[in-house]
Amino acid sequence: MVDNHFIQMRGFHNLYDENGKCWGFQFCMRTKYYKGIWLSQFRTGNVIVDGVVYPKDTLIWNIQGMDYTAEEMYDRTDIYWQVNEIATVKVPKEGGLEQGYHTVEVEFGWVCNYNTAV
Amino acid sequence: MRKVQEGKPKLGISVYSYCQVLGRCMTLEDVFKDMYDCGATHFELLTSHIENYPNPSPQWIDHYFWLCEKYKMQPAEMGHWAETHLRRGDRMSDEEVLFNLIRDFKLANLLGFKVLRTKITTVNLYCDPEPGWERIIEKALPYAEKYDVMMQNEVHSPTLLTRKHVFDYLEFIEKHKTKHFGINVDFGTFQNAWPEDIYSPEALKTLKQRGFGSEWSKPEDIKAVLPYSKACHAKFNYVDENFEERTIPYNDVLKIMIDHGWDGYLISEYEGPGRDDDAFLGEQMRRHHIMMRRMLGYC
Repeated sequence: MVDNHFIQMRGFHNLYDENGKCWGFQFCMRTKYYKGIWLSQFRTGNVIVDGVVYPKDTLIWNIQGMDYTAEEMYDRTDIYWQVNEIATVKVPKEGGLEQGYHTVEVEFGWVCNYNTAV
Repeated sequence: MRKVQEGKPKLGISVYSYCQVLGRCMTLEDVFKDMYDCGATHFELLTSHIENYPNPSPQWIDHYFWLCEKYKMQPAEMGHWAETHLRRGDRMSDEEVLFNLIRDFKLANLLGFKVLRTKITTVNLYCDPEPGWERIIEKALPYAEKYDVMMQNEVHSPTLLTRKHVFDYLEFIEKHKTKHFGINVDFGTFQNAWPEDIYSPEALKTLKQRGFGSEWSKPEDIKAVLPYSKACHAKFNYVDENFEERTIPYNDVLKIMIDHGWDGYLISEYEGPGRDDDAFLGEQMRRHHIMMRRMLGYC
């Protein structure tokens, strides 16, 4: 089962490299839509934490265990991000986030065949 | 004149009704148990409920058939999408669209579905199809025949049953004399009331902005499409404690359907407020099935 909120409590923590150096943080989310989407239909924007903007192009999206940039996802018409499947968003930030409460926002949307793609 | 034999529609439920609780506080088995408990014998699944779609594992397929058997549920309709714009830029080629359709036909065939809700790419809120749809559907027909499935386009509010494209679809079916393309009527098209005690002011404002609430199909409009329909979405928004749906003229619609001998799948699709509350949803589903059984004389 997943958390009811689309940004998940589980999986929100700092990221460390093999030398133990903190290089960023991650959080998990589900699609917030009633149907799964092909990655090429997915549109992402910035992540905003406590009002600080982390630009779209610096983010890494991990879906089904594979890392993608926003640009790489545009071409993946073969990977289906299913409902209730968790994506992990990795955000580079040296030193990571401080322990405690944070306000996490993420900009995203999708193109579907109810309307012509733009 | 020989009287048309009264239809005996089969009662089903769309797993879509549970989409805000499935995977959060209910497993797929919980949903099957609930559908069985409501008295439904058939179900609709969206491709969105198939684990690892479009390549479910043998374990998932075994689990799926085990659920069907345990809860005595039969597959009725599989909802899928005929996507034509999976990439930026130009529309996909007919061959690419067809490839994906055939993939879903095979999957439907594997999972026991004979009816598909095929969402043709549309260009506006009224679901007018993207030009070229005939070409793709025409190419898909031999494969639909091979995998024994019927594609059904859904007429969904705010689209009316009298909209031109509905007649274009009927004309296409007649021209090709095919049993593999048809219409799913979503009862939302008959919705003629938006009671303020059911919808919040915000919800009403959004619905109005999206074109809902200004016009609706008349129950008799369904007659023209019934011969081309195997499954319909028995959409409902609120059934009260007297087992009356407050927004859609169910009595009139169901009476016309059975008087015309329609015996397809009536698939409950709850789309009212409170879908994220499993207890509320379960109660609505039971009220809806009691209402339909009473109207159809199944009690």
